[in-house]
Amino acid sequence: MAIKQFNRRHFLRATGTVVALPALESIGFRRFASAATLTAARPKRAVFLGFGWGVTEETWMPDKKVSGSAYELPAGLAPLERHKADFTVVQGLTNKFANEAHWGSTFWLTGANRYAEPGQSFHNSVSADQIVAERLGSDTRFASIQLSCPDGVANGHGPGLSLAWDGRGKPLAGMENPVAAYHRMFSDDTVPLADRQALLAEKRSVLDAVLVDARRVQRDLNRTDTDKLDEYFQSVRDIETRLAKDEQWLAVPKPKTSFSEPKPGLAGRDEIALMYDLIVAALQTDATRVATYRQPVGSLLGSLGLKIAAHDMTHYTTGERLEASQQRDVAQSELLAGLLDKLKATKEPDGSSLLDHTVVAYGSNIRTVHYLDNCPMLFAGRGAGLKLGQHVVLAHHTPLCNAWLTMLHGLGIEAERHGDSTGVVKELQG
Amino acid sequence: MRPSCFLVCILLCCCEAQAGEPASARLDDAQRAFFTAYCTDCHGADTQEGKLRLDNISLAIETVEQADRWQKILNQLNSGEMPPEDATQPEPARKTEFLDALSRTLALARKIIGDQGGRIALRRLNQREYRNTLRDLLGVEVDTRDLPSDSGTGTFDTVGASLYMSSDQIEQYLALGRSALDEYFTRAAAHEHKTFKAREEAEIVGNRRMNNLYKDTKAAHDNYVRWTAAVDEAAKRSENVATAERLRKQTEKPRPSSGVPYATPMHFYLDWDQIAGAPSPTEFGFQDAQKAFFDETQYRNHFVYYDDYQKLPARETGAWLLFYQAYRETYVSAGEKWPTGRYTLRMRVAANDAANRERRFVEIGQRGDDPSDFSVLGACQVTGTLAEPQTIEFPVEVRSSAKREFAVREKRPNSRKAEIRSYHDELEKTGRGPVPAIWIDWFEIEGPAKAPIAAAVSLVAESHDAAAARDVIQRFATRAFRGRAPSADYLDRLVALFEARRGHGDSFDEAIKEPLGVVLASPSFLYLLEPSPGDEHRRLDSLELASRLAYFLWSSPPDDELLALARSGELQQTEVLATQVDRMIADERSWQFVRGFTHQWLGMDRLDFFQFDFKLHRGFDDSTKAAAREEVFQTVACLLRDDLSLRSLLKSDFVIVNSLLATYYGLDGVRGDAFRKVSLPADSPRGGLLGMAAILAMGSNGQCTSPVERGAWVLRKLLNDPPPPAPPNVPQLARLEGKLLDVRERLRAHQEQPQCANCHRKIDPIGFGLENFDAAGRWRTEDMYQLKGGAKKTWTIDAAATFHKGPAFKNYFDLRDIVASKSDAFARGFTEALVEYALGRPCGFIDEELVADVLSQARRQDFAMRSFIQALVASDTFQSK
Repeated sequence: MAIKQFNRRHFLRATGTVVALPALESIGFRRFASAATLTAARPKRAVFLGFGWGVTEETWMPDKKVSGSAYELPAGLAPLERHKADFTVVQGLTNKFANEAHWGSTFWLTGANRYAEPGQSFHNSVSADQIVAERLGSDTRFASIQLSCPDGVANGHGPGLSLAWDGRGKPLAGMENPVAAYHRMFSDDTVPLADRQALLAEKRSVLDAVLVDARRVQRDLNRTDTDKLDEYFQSVRDIETRLAKDEQWLAVPKPKTSFSEPKPGLAGRDEIALMYDLIVAALQTDATRVATYRQPVGSLLGSLGLKIAAHDMTHYTTGERLEASQQRDVAQSELLAGLLDKLKATKEPDGSSLLDHTVVAYGSNIRTVHYLDNCPMLFAGRGAGLKLGQHVVLAHHTPLCNAWLTMLHGLGIEAERHGDSTGVVKELQG
Repeated sequence: MRPSCFLVCILLCCCEAQAGEPASARLDDAQRAFFTAYCTDCHGADTQEGKLRLDNISLAIETVEQADRWQKILNQLNSGEMPPEDATQPEPARKTEFLDALSRTLALARKIIGDQGGRIALRRLNQREYRNTLRDLLGVEVDTRDLPSDSGTGTFDTVGASLYMSSDQIEQYLALGRSALDEYFTRAAAHEHKTFKAREEAEIVGNRRMNNLYKDTKAAHDNYVRWTAAVDEAAKRSENVATAERLRKQTEKPRPSSGVPYATPMHFYLDWDQIAGAPSPTEFGFQDAQKAFFDETQYRNHFVYYDDYQKLPARETGAWLLFYQAYRETYVSAGEKWPTGRYTLRMRVAANDAANRERRFVEIGQRGDDPSDFSVLGACQVTGTLAEPQTIEFPVEVRSSAKREFAVREKRPNSRKAEIRSYHDELEKTGRGPVPAIWIDWFEIEGPAKAPIAAAVSLVAESHDAAAARDVIQRFATRAFRGRAPSADYLDRLVALFEARRGHGDSFDEAIKEPLGVVLASPSFLYLLEPSPGDEHRRLDSLELASRLAYFLWSSPPDDELLALARSGELQQTEVLATQVDRMIADERSWQFVRGFTHQWLGMDRLDFFQFDFKLHRGFDDSTKAAAREEVFQTVACLLRDDLSLRSLLKSDFVIVNSLLATYYGLDGVRGDAFRKVSLPADSPRGGLLGMAAILAMGSNGQCTSPVERGAWVLRKLLNDPPPPAPPNVPQLARLEGKLLDVRERLRAHQEQPQCANCHRKIDPIGFGLENFDAAGRWRTEDMYQLKGGAKKTWTIDAAATFHKGPAFKNYFDLRDIVASKSDAFARGFTEALVEYALGRPCGFIDEELVADVLSQARRQDFAMRSFIQALVASDTFQSK
């Protein structure tokens, strides 16, 4: 395995960023050939932002009667007005297997059926971001980054450690602490190169040692336990992949970003803004091309001076709860608008903006209160060649995974299907 | 994952005769009539809209596909999409019954289809167990907060199927293991024990601070008076009269809404420079007019407070901790170079003779990054008086990764806003600030406590060569693997790691850490191994039994005694095993079970979901909340220790409280911070979970009560009759807000729609019965609702209600008696939870016999707490994989 990685490293060095080329020839890309000529040289990026508990339907969802570009932004989306030409709101999307009224994120990017496996009370499958990471992640230090918040359940996300689920449907851990995330991505190792090489070699010996024990343990296990222990083996494989990557990047200093180590202890609104800044910095420096963020809701309310528990807010009725729910919508839209500002302001070497090469998916599996149909969904940025500036109203119960599939195709990933998808959403294609 | 009530009914009916009957989920034939009446016109033999045919659909739900189809039908009915608007609509009562039957049958079907058949999935140590295991092995504490969370799947954190190993977790284990080893070797190397001590004399810090404030505020005020007098003088001059008049008018302009002026007369002086010849504030020592304005405001708001302080007694030897501002806390710090370990905080304190009992508590804690953020470590009652002060000791842990500064303050809501509000309320009422309640002489920290490293295995090597290293590694790995010897191949690799390090010039101790750290990230350490090549159940060997038992009752690895009994095989003898269970329960480590199990069993994480509104619930501050939470644990621990009946949790004539909680409950005669058993008067609403502040507070949103949360909790946890999960897509109820309604009127809306009624008719009445407890668990007889505009409705609480298809109750006491009479259902729910926690897998259908056995053995001992555990441990299931 080590030898294979070694060859690959040389290949990557030799070819540089051009390895992204095969993706450009996909059917999906040819369709947007005009856009492609402008942006072909820059890599594509994808960002997924999940906000758990749904939105205030009445003041967030645009009027269904007005689709196309002439629609008006309701109050909940109003802070995004200046970006109206750069995003599209989609209505009518549903994960048909979703039944858990409190789970806004568990199946959002997967579309899985919780009960698909007899003999298990919980099942999930790979999330869209990981499909993207498999393709876009090979040339960056981090294939993908997962940012998250604690207390997934209280925040309306449901089970999981982040928005991301790996190829076997296991949860991927998320970084909950922005300071730690900052250091992981941007702090330079002060250890000299030779020592780091030795360290890498030592890490490999460490992995070899734990594998000896793992293989002994594995010998006597039945099938179920073998599957369970496979998580351990997978974890070791993941480290090996990362070590190979570390080796590939060993001589490359971590990227410099313009912002310095963040202040610890930020919560709610400031914390989300900081995580957004980290995402921008990570994309800008090409530390990664795929990011997910499972956003906090409870602490956001707290930072807005709202004392209500996040779940209680979702059961809004006219009065304090409704106001809280609406304030939350507006705060989230302001934060998103700020993220889009930064993605626009960040220039790529060819003079285009980062947003030209990034697709931002923003939403939840919960629409509002405990409704799981017509999930709130907003796509921004030109990274996946989606048609922007639109209000797209689809037939009720269009699979949410159709939107993910459309996005995958737009990113040059020729997946046949994702989750329970039945096809692409033509209305979203530019 | 508790079985639904439907299942319980089946089981209760037939458990005597044929307990082994396989469970099945099938809708009653009578429900088919519902389809015939409302659905088959479009979904029948002739037309099958949406490709759905209901006239001949099987009523048994046995496969994933069938369950999905029924789920779709349920969703359509719940969302109101079916039957379509123009079709005949079912009677609400009939629809309610149908939804009830379908949602319960479906929940049962999901449980049957998802049943693991008693298979115990290989499981890794959860966070708690990992932390405890490292403490046990090396005698050190590690911070595991950054490990991925083990909760969130709705099961116990011992359930293997829900415990994943995510991609960078092994690296985290390597790093954490390494830091534990570093600490171990640092401690082991510290040959001589030295203690350190730092003391803060309160009168020096506190009184200096207060004296300065007094002097500075007064001096600024004197300057302000002189300056404004001079401005006034200038304003009187004829050339200034018109300007002064205009400026004064400006400050008097009333706000259109309230009629109160925009500004105060003080604002006049901010425009001093418009008055010819008026002196500049800089001549009076102010930076500018704004600063003069600010200082004078401070004087007006606070001087009386500082002045009063100067009149307080005993300021030569100590200082008074203020409730508001200036001298809230006294700090003491462990020096940066002091070793980590257990330290003692000590303080000499007294309470003001006039202070009421709620205020006779201090809080010990640490300041967060934000100065208003104070993390409370504990609260202590102050029983000392100025005549006879008292010395309080409080143990703390100084860790390498945490703050080293500790503080003491009067107990209070953890909010700056609350503090400001309390001050101004008092000022308005009495013209003075709150009178300080706590006097402090000094505050000190001393330590670390001299303690040998409480490590399970010694890492001392005979010599420093590879053979010695191999010996140390082997000893350590065997203990870390809970008695199993590591393979030779594995040891070879580890020794090679050691040698590589030595080759780089590391010392023996430094080099040995590398392989030892690897042991702590290896599967034999991280997973509780009970290998078995096939799916058939087999008896655990005695080492496996020792581990299962230790992680069940201690969340920690087996100790020497258990390992010795396992090696000799004696552990498998019934008598020996029972004796060990008693020994383990008596051991301190059983707290791990009490806290870990109880917290999850009763769903106590909800207590941290929201902040309590200090305006409404000032008494329910962080210390009180912590004491309330502790009451639940202490009660379970007491039942376990004294082997009392589980029924005490439903109703009892005692509570387990400390002085803080006794004060909160209005119980007299409890002194000190230790929890102890206190007898209750006959008419007390306390005694049993239903009367505990923590449980009641969980059934609120921090402001007002939630009868729905409370009712659902009682059904889930006490009556073992959980409502189905909150269904998606149920239309939101008619909007009631903006109307002055009491709680019952508001919740009556739940009965309007069958989609809500089918569950809420069971939930809501129980919640009504608990309405005499406010959101923070205090007893009340009145409740109030206020609209934002100000209109207000107050009503006397009526806690009478009727269980759905069950008995009526007149008040809370009746309700509690009815719940207490259902101890069989409660005991069943408890047993199922215990099985799930102990075995690390959901309690499934295969366990019916086990649950029945445990229950019947426990019933013979009047449901004594330990009898459940003894019966479970003695069972074949517990002793098998």
